[in-house]
Amino acid sequence: MLDLLGGFSTLFTLWPFLYLLGGFMLGLFFGAIPGLTATLAIALLLPFTFGMEVTNALIMVMGIYMAGIYAGSITGITLNIPGAPSGAITSIDGHALMKKGQGAQALSLDAFASSVGGMIGALILMLLAQPIGALALYFRTPEKFSLVLLAVVTVTIVSRGSLWKAIIAMTLGLMISTVGIDPMVPKGRFDFGSYHLVEGIGLLPAVIGLFAVCELLVQATIPARNAMGVAVADMPRLRHRDFIPDLHIVREIGAWLYIKSSIIGVLIGMLPGGGASMASFIAYAEAKRTAKHPSEFGQGSHEGLAASESANNAMCGGAIIPLLTLGIPGDAVTAIIFGVFLIHGLVPGPGLLTQHTDAIAPMFAALFVASAFVMISVIAFGPFYLRLARINRGALYGFIGLISMAGVYASSFSGFQMWMALAIGIFAFALRRFEYPAVPMLMGVILGPYLEKFLRGSMIVSQGDPLIFITSPFSLMFLVMTAVFIWLLRLRPGVRS
Amino acid sequence: MTGSARPNGQAIFALVLLVLNTVYASQIFKLGVPFSNGVEPGASFLPIVLCAVLYLAAGRILIAELRNSRSADAPVPSEKSDHVPAIGITGPLIITLLTMGFAAGLERAGYIVTAGAYTFAVALYFNFEDGGRSVRSVIVAAITAVIITGFGWLFFVKLFDLYLPTWIF
Repeated sequence: MLDLLGGFSTLFTLWPFLYLLGGFMLGLFFGAIPGLTATLAIALLLPFTFGMEVTNALIMVMGIYMAGIYAGSITGITLNIPGAPSGAITSIDGHALMKKGQGAQALSLDAFASSVGGMIGALILMLLAQPIGALALYFRTPEKFSLVLLAVVTVTIVSRGSLWKAIIAMTLGLMISTVGIDPMVPKGRFDFGSYHLVEGIGLLPAVIGLFAVCELLVQATIPARNAMGVAVADMPRLRHRDFIPDLHIVREIGAWLYIKSSIIGVLIGMLPGGGASMASFIAYAEAKRTAKHPSEFGQGSHEGLAASESANNAMCGGAIIPLLTLGIPGDAVTAIIFGVFLIHGLVPGPGLLTQHTDAIAPMFAALFVASAFVMISVIAFGPFYLRLARINRGALYGFIGLISMAGVYASSFSGFQMWMALAIGIFAFALRRFEYPAVPMLMGVILGPYLEKFLRGSMIVSQGDPLIFITSPFSLMFLVMTAVFIWLLRLRPGVRS
Repeated sequence: MTGSARPNGQAIFALVLLVLNTVYASQIFKLGVPFSNGVEPGASFLPIVLCAVLYLAAGRILIAELRNSRSADAPVPSEKSDHVPAIGITGPLIITLLTMGFAAGLERAGYIVTAGAYTFAVALYFNFEDGGRSVRSVIVAAITAVIITGFGWLFFVKLFDLYLPTWIF
């Protein structure tokens, strides 16, 4: 813990602090614009990280992550168009408050809850990361396989819509991961005679294709009148001080609600496939269940707003825990952060924290400080938030298109990888057109090599005996958890309905 | 009589996935037997499992969609899905062609020319679609192209020291 606290001293030097500030502003901008997300912002940043020091890259990513998740609620409150899915629950009560003429107060309470949630999430991350990392050192290949399997299955079954489509998306991702050199023997697979494919399909073209190119194509299908050109309601001129939260309301909400919702957020974040949307929804439902006046929920409830937004941002800290300690990314953002580590030669998982504390500690500090920035940002920029939804689409998508494609080229020196990003983007667009989720596909691309390596490694150790996966207590525990999640999240709802 | 089954987009896409899966499966034979030494999974083991899962899942969707297409009412996508509405493909097609042009031209014409032309064209498309005023759209797109191209060069090459091709005479 003390080692991790040392990250603050690194963070408060000139360049790391500027990277955090830059990342935070980028995340704020992307999170607040409907259709753009923190995931896209981090995906666009990925090529640039090749030219950064790993510590600065991770600090910047944390700034984007925290700001992006928070900012999803800004246009949700002001225009009832959440900038990101994570802001959807917050906008229910936030926009109701806006319509009552309490928009500035809603935005300030939203930022306050995000700040508190983010800080609690970061603190829990600092507390739990080292013990879980130490425990994970005992995991051998069978345990690692069962853990990766748990992530693969959970991410698939929590996807919205058709389970079969989620299974297909995950399978496609795993298939992409099998292209290239075999993880166990030096032998090319699925290269179709092309030397470009022997080196495999990189993470960067997959991320850029799935999130940036696909988004560009999706936006090209949306007529301008349905996109961001929504008329902003006439509002009184707001001052910076209008965005300071009313302490009476904060007291009324109560410290316990912030803490409870944040803990829910952290726990959901730790689950593979959890994500900010699920965290805010569950915290909101729990707050409503225990509220004195549950009927106010949906009509502009301060408790509802605080619960969903605390959980949202606390989730960030929770999602980092399995990534760093077990090497398991739980959602699209942590999957891309996984890529940032790999680009710099660091492999997330047991041992990372002890071997690279100097690189990781500032990242934790950045998450904490970025949470504080959230509160400052609403006071500084609150009056300008309404204008965010009216940005020129031509400039925005010209920027996204260029940075995506040039970024892939600049970081790989390969025209082939650029074509690959475009091909994956077109394919992802078709998947989205037919309601196939993109996140399981990305997770398949990332987790595929590990799933296969640990499966085959375990079977070699056991000389082909699959019982090795149930004779290890940890492996058995992960397999039982997989079965329980399948029952709770897919089978039981089906039986009940 | 229920009428003839008319394949819908979902069914056609499931069929495309099955064809792609077959192309993938055609390479598995080059990878040897699934179990080396009779017991240990080899290079072809996971690909075989993945192929089987994809055949099963895509096949199931195909059959379900063919059955659905016999009924009068087509299924409506859920409100919360990421479904892209079935409107014209002109926009995505234009953006795809422009991006292909960028990918093809970058190494030949260099960053400045290709990036400038690409961002101009993409910005022009979105601006024209937004406002419908051609002169204004051209002016805004030109300004956008200059700023974004300059920004990209500054960040990639100057700030982060990454390589971008220049014009080859």
